Amino acid sequence: MRRALLAIAGTAAGLVMLLSFKSHTAPGGGTATAGGPGPPPAGQGSSASPSPAGLNGAGSSGASGNGTVSPGTRVVTGNVANTAYGPVQVQLTLRQSKIIKVAILEQPTSTNEDIQIGNFAFPKLIRETLSVQSARIDMVSGASYTSKGYVQSLQSALDGGSA
Amino acid sequence: MAGFVNHPATSPNRPAERQDPRRRTLPAPAPLRPRPELVLAVIGSGALAVLALWWQDTPSVHGLGDWLTNAGRILGLLAGYGVVVLVALMARLPPLEQGIGADRLARWHAMGGRYVVGLVVSHALLITWGYAVTAHANVVRQAGTLLTSYPDVLMATVGAFLLSGVGLVSMRAARRRMRYETWYYLHFYVYLAIALAFSHQFAAGAEFVSSLPARTAWSALYLTVAALVLWYRVITVVRQALRHRLRVAGLRGEAPGVVSVYVGGARLHELRAEPGQFFRWRFLTRDLWWSSHPYSLSARPRPDLLRITVKDLGDHSGSLGRLRPGTRVIAEGPYGAFTARHRQPRRKVLLLAGGVGITPLRTMFETLPGEVTLVYRASSASDIVFREELDAIAADRGATVHYLIGARARLGRDPLSAQQLKTLVPGLHRRDVYLCGPAGMTDTAVAALRAAGLPRRRIHHESFEF
Amino acid sequence: MPDRPRRDGPGQRRADPSRRAGPVRDDGRLRQAEHVMGTVFSFDVPADVGAEALPSVLRWLHWADATFSPYAADSDVSRLGRGEAALSECAAELAEVLGLCAEVRALSGGYFTTTPGGAFDPSGLVKGWAIERAAAMLRAAGSRNHSVNGGGDVQCAGEAGPRRPWRVGIAHPLRAGELATVVTGRDLAVATSGTAERGPHIVDPHTGRAATALASITLVGEHLTTVDAYATAAFAMGNAARDWIESLEGHEAFAITASGAVWQTEGFAAYAA
Repeated sequence: MRRALLAIAGTAAGLVMLLSFKSHTAPGGGTATAGGPGPPPAGQGSSASPSPAGLNGAGSSGASGNGTVSPGTRVVTGNVANTAYGPVQVQLTLRQSKIIKVAILEQPTSTNEDIQIGNFAFPKLIRETLSVQSARIDMVSGASYTSKGYVQSLQSALDGGSA
Repeated sequence: MAGFVNHPATSPNRPAERQDPRRRTLPAPAPLRPRPELVLAVIGSGALAVLALWWQDTPSVHGLGDWLTNAGRILGLLAGYGVVVLVALMARLPPLEQGIGADRLARWHAMGGRYVVGLVVSHALLITWGYAVTAHANVVRQAGTLLTSYPDVLMATVGAFLLSGVGLVSMRAARRRMRYETWYYLHFYVYLAIALAFSHQFAAGAEFVSSLPARTAWSALYLTVAALVLWYRVITVVRQALRHRLRVAGLRGEAPGVVSVYVGGARLHELRAEPGQFFRWRFLTRDLWWSSHPYSLSARPRPDLLRITVKDLGDHSGSLGRLRPGTRVIAEGPYGAFTARHRQPRRKVLLLAGGVGITPLRTMFETLPGEVTLVYRASSASDIVFREELDAIAADRGATVHYLIGARARLGRDPLSAQQLKTLVPGLHRRDVYLCGPAGMTDTAVAALRAAGLPRRRIHHESFEF
Repeated sequence: MPDRPRRDGPGQRRADPSRRAGPVRDDGRLRQAEHVMGTVFSFDVPADVGAEALPSVLRWLHWADATFSPYAADSDVSRLGRGEAALSECAAELAEVLGLCAEVRALSGGYFTTTPGGAFDPSGLVKGWAIERAAAMLRAAGSRNHSVNGGGDVQCAGEAGPRRPWRVGIAHPLRAGELATVVTGRDLAVATSGTAERGPHIVDPHTGRAATALASITLVGEHLTTVDAYATAAFAMGNAARDWIESLEGHEAFAITASGAVWQTEGFAAYAA
């Protein structure tokens, strides 16, 4: 019995030591704004292999911009999302509520595969964030629009102006 | 039967006469016999390497979910490694069997087995909890998600249950209630558990998913141990069986309930069995073929004949008395670290036997060179076996035998006290002592020997109950 | 993760604006839009079935508009609301709709209501119900793959193309012209409730004040009738809707709060493209 307790205590102590070493490493550079834990890794319940945190609305903080951008432009930096493969952090530049730039501040780079996937996936995600056409969608769902509002809506672009 | 081994086969003082000329044509390669501490160090460094794998793959750990998940990962890696170590311990690798001994290996395996089952269960719980915290999900739902949509996790969970089941069944309380053979065959489910759990390590394990070198090394480890198991527990046994073609040559009753079985074969010197070692014997009759049991050689092995002596303790041991000559036998071995190889040749020796423990010691008494004293402790005169042989050997080589007969209660004192032993055995504290007998007797004897001034390293004993 | 769709798709061909009916594309599908119920309905149907069945579907939609509109003085809904007609004198479908409204009201703890701001107005459920009915009529006419978008609420059946599930973009409520996310599926119903177009028009029935915690919430499920109604209720609930939707079988939610933060229910990721 005593040996069992020793084994349990020793294992627990070892775990705590190992994990504490790793928690002193900063989660990578980047202007992480004050925030709690990042958004949950996307695909945690659905896909076969966990993928890096989805960038759909990477938790934007209500941040004000830094002083180096032109007036009317806002820079919003998301919280660092700690995924199974490493930290991910996204920064958006907005002008008049329109995203004009997406920057990946932090992406997993600890293995060659991470870098390879990142080089492929992040530009793709950036493009899709910025463009409706490249999202290849069939329909748009949004808050109800009136007939007048329809004309300016994304849906009318898809319908090819057939109304 | 009386003619077989009734004479002391070879007196150690006249070695050249009876040497089989064939012996000299096979030079034995220096066998590898590592010390236990060395083996433990190797196992430990393997564990460190596994931890290093986690270390270099994990950039940082933040938040409760991360802590839990990574703790689970570490334990999972250690479990995957531990399972392979446990199998290797039982793979009947000659260096391990000779250097550490079957009984100690079995104890290590039992302790390690309990620890690994704990690792596996904790790994599963911590990973589930950690994922649930990170995904802001309810733990039960997260468990369901892991089981249904993560690759191979369901199989691994079944494996974990199998492993835990085998662990439970191996607890002393459970083993006492079941036959040895039942437990032995249930234990084989561990192989199935390992196979089931293997794929999830690669499919869902963060350290393996993206690292081909890690997967390669891990697979190499598993494959190596599997190959060793196959070689030493299956192929070698079959090869030995085909080469030596052992058959029961005859039986002889030694004492009430004690029978010697003579097993004949060809080229038996190639087995290189040393005095004090044992084989795992499988007698190919309809009732006995499916189990193997360890029995020590009770006489110096001849190139054509081996002898074991077995006391009827119920079930298997009792049925040996009914073996028919000509029955085929498969012997795995030799095993055992209870040999005289480490001793300094000039030291005197004390052989201390209790009850059926006389069996390996009788072989040593017959073969060890130098001055040897045998003390044989038994509860009653009818429990003494080999009396004529022992007396003949003693006379032949000028050695001494002391028979200490009588139950402790009847005698009023313990004949195995330090005082008694010092009187019986001159220069006791300078001797090498080889001790074999039931657990109670060996404990008493070890205590007495220590009290008489013997250092631990010169007290050698092997336990039969493991 | 579902397969990524092929590179071809809607929006590639330029429409001929002079024609009333939409163009028939190379893949044999017909795209058409129709002004009805104060908004525009968009259809994506197989060309053969569409040519035959769409006219009657559109006629039915106009009838539903006339029957259920709270803005038309002589609609059944308006007359019932003023007490001028008994339920038994109205169209049978109205009773069906009211029954559904009562269920959703109970299920949502009163957050879904047929009397927002006091007047009788079941529109929160009627639109989704009408769209789902239209899709059912198309199926009855022989179409297995079609999509109906009624002013932002979408009911899909089958797939958009061979081995290609439907992809529905969710408009971002705070960034005009941008998408917040894309959902994909086969028999898919998507409804978004929000303030972007018509301003804060959804009221929390318990407090009487406009619901302002969320900019928009999108619900995804299989049947638009319930999905649409739940979306309305969920918007009124605000952030508390998350736990409510989690407790509902077969429905997932994606929300953008007024400050631009995003949350989604646990199973939503299965729909995300």
